[in-house]
Amino acid sequence: MASHTGRLYALAFALVAFFLAWAVVAAHPWATAAGDPRLRTLAAREVQLRREAKLVNEVVAQRWALYRTELRARRSQIAAVTSAPVSSASVRVVNLPPLTVTRTS
Amino acid sequence: MIERRTFRAMGTEIELLVEAEGAAGALAAAEGEFHRLEALLSRFREDSELSRLNRDGSLTAGPDLCRVVELALAARERTGGRFDPAIHDALVAAGYDRSFEQIDPRCQAPCLAPGAAGGAASVEGTRIELDDGVRLDLGGIGKGYAAERAAEILAMAGPCLVNAGGDIAVRGGSWPIGVETAREPLTLELSHGGLATSGRDRRRWQRDGRELHHLIDPRTGEPAETDLLRVTAIAPDAIEAEVAAKSLFLAGSARAAHEADAAGVAAVLVTEDGRTIFAGGLA
Repeated sequence: MASHTGRLYALAFALVAFFLAWAVVAAHPWATAAGDPRLRTLAAREVQLRREAKLVNEVVAQRWALYRTELRARRSQIAAVTSAPVSSASVRVVNLPPLTVTRTS
Repeated sequence: MIERRTFRAMGTEIELLVEAEGAAGALAAAEGEFHRLEALLSRFREDSELSRLNRDGSLTAGPDLCRVVELALAARERTGGRFDPAIHDALVAAGYDRSFEQIDPRCQAPCLAPGAAGGAASVEGTRIELDDGVRLDLGGIGKGYAAERAAEILAMAGPCLVNAGGDIAVRGGSWPIGVETAREPLTLELSHGGLATSGRDRRRWQRDGRELHHLIDPRTGEPAETDLLRVTAIAPDAIEAEVAAKSLFLAGSARAAHEADAAGVAAVLVTEDGRTIFAGGLA
């Protein structure tokens, strides 16, 4: 009786050990990422994209800085024009035949 | 190449000039803007927004009437009441109770008592409220406003000039503009901004033998008595030019020249005794 039970335990243990070993072998723990050429390509592509993104960000930042400088200059030009009283600066007496005439409206 | 269009609106001759080719669409749109604004701002049209406001004393109005009333009230504040839109009844009392072409220049009817001028008016959002008995006339400032709006439209086609019976708006380019002085005409070249002329040499009539004109002095409610015959003013836009011309005209020659110099508003003042005074840096 005891011998029969012992054999059953031994069989169950052997089955568990067998499937465990199968799972370990199926997982290929000895195969590294470096070994897969597709992963190597993806990794290289990622590095390249990161480098390009950094370059693009640098170009965008330079252009924004240039734009902000030009915008400041343009705004100060506009402010100078609009704050100046419109007098002799925008109107002058000329010796030309008029294109139109102003009269009492 | 300059394209030109003339037509009548707002009781005066309108002239549109644009330095562009194929600007027929822009010219038509600018003309349409004048007719649209006339339908809103004329006091001679029963169905205009302005007539409804004057009739009812309050109105929920469109953006154009609200804006013009706001501009007129701001101008009244700025000029210390010399420019005042609340002169409707004074104009009517003086005989300017219909479109100018329909006024009998030698009417023998007795003069009416001076009409009321001034009174409170306010704009809150789209709501315009007038005090009892207050009625507005937006004739002059309305033309300046229309000239500016039309110039905005035309400017999309190219540098342009809009002349609304003497109220001129310019956007870009260089435009030689004739100005009447006491002697030979003068030409001013304007590249941006506005120019307007106010005076009593036109739009005048007689009533019961008395010479009257359309420039009401809000302080008296009667046609202004001043030693000036005509004032031409240059300002950042046609609306301000219109206000400045009228205000300087009412000030009289000595004060007007001083005020124009102080404010840096270029102006040509023509006096009734035949003098021409340049002010505000104009020489």
